[in-house]
Amino acid sequence: MQVTVDVKGEDDVEVDAGADATYADLLSAVDLSPHEVTVLVDGRPVPEDQPVNVDHVTVLRLVKGG
Amino acid sequence: MECSKCGRDAVMHAAYSGAHLCDAHFVESVERRVRRRVREDNLVPRDATPEDPETWVVGLSGGKDSVALTQILHETFEADPRIELVALTIHEGIEGYRDESVDACLELTEDLDIRHEVVSYAEEFGVEMDDVVEDDPEGMAPCAYCGVFRRDLLESYADEFGADKLLTGHNLDDEAQTALMNFLEGDVAQIAKHFDASLGPFDERADGDGAPSREDQEHFVPRAKPLRDVPEKEVALYCHLRDLPAHITECPHASEAYRGEIQQLLHGLEENHPGTRHSILAGYEELAGIVASEYHSDADDSRDEADLGECERCGSTTTRAVCRKCQLLDALDA
Repeated sequence: MQVTVDVKGEDDVEVDAGADATYADLLSAVDLSPHEVTVLVDGRPVPEDQPVNVDHVTVLRLVKGG
Repeated sequence: MECSKCGRDAVMHAAYSGAHLCDAHFVESVERRVRRRVREDNLVPRDATPEDPETWVVGLSGGKDSVALTQILHETFEADPRIELVALTIHEGIEGYRDESVDACLELTEDLDIRHEVVSYAEEFGVEMDDVVEDDPEGMAPCAYCGVFRRDLLESYADEFGADKLLTGHNLDDEAQTALMNFLEGDVAQIAKHFDASLGPFDERADGDGAPSREDQEHFVPRAKPLRDVPEKEVALYCHLRDLPAHITECPHASEAYRGEIQQLLHGLEENHPGTRHSILAGYEELAGIVASEYHSDADDSRDEADLGECERCGSTTTRAVCRKCQLLDALDA
């Protein structure tokens, strides 16, 4: 399944996700760690260990507190 | 996926505990961890009373960490007359960055109706970070100058506002990184100092469990980091779910290369071995307490006291004739 990964502040990336892929796998495909981002589906955060069942996700990057 | 505590949809998975939590249980869990840390570190002394309250100055940058900390402390102590909160914001003079985050601080402190003070490098030192970065007379990373100036102002204004404690929003990732950096640099004295300055619990002899507590810092306002049990990602999620006015832009001068390397390392370890950050920090704190006790008993107190004096220029407590901040200001011709 093709999933559009919209990393906020960066370009969208199309990821070819396998049948069992989790949101963490999507992040790994765009070289991000679940510890530095939050994945939103329809504006709602989702646990990264769950299987992907949508074709579009938004990724919010963490920013240092400063 | 359902919340481990109720039937609602989970918004997060904490691999280190195995829990899946919904928004309400996640928010509650973050707040519980901060309150437990406040208790375990004995931040509220037994002798604080409504007539003689403690003043806590919170370093409020407007970023997610300090905003979450200020919000949680406010809600925890709003009805407790023993604790008074003052928010302190430092304006470094960074175009397109700090003005927006100061707005976030104003919005939060107006919402919460707490005292808020803003001090700037420009007014205090006659410099702005954007110019410091251009000049760079010492050939250092921007954060090296900025850290010296920020610590000086946090410390001196906390003192001026009569603070009993200075609280900052360092999260679990920040502290696990610092712990690992100190360890990898082999800096045992720094580890002991870290314990006495901001990590160790305050002494409550009535507890009597024999665990090490920090030594009194006569010359400095004691610091504390009650957010340090909460991973950085969870602090951000907390702000997002509670719709807090946190400013989320990276400082344009951010440049801590070594810390970034350690951060990547920790993310990788955490992925393969969930709980690594927690165990690094728990073990480090225990070791730091032992090391600090060792240094306390070895120290020749009279000599230690003699090492600390007043800066010839500004009067700050320092081990040098002229403090580091004044040296940097000299180099900048400020």
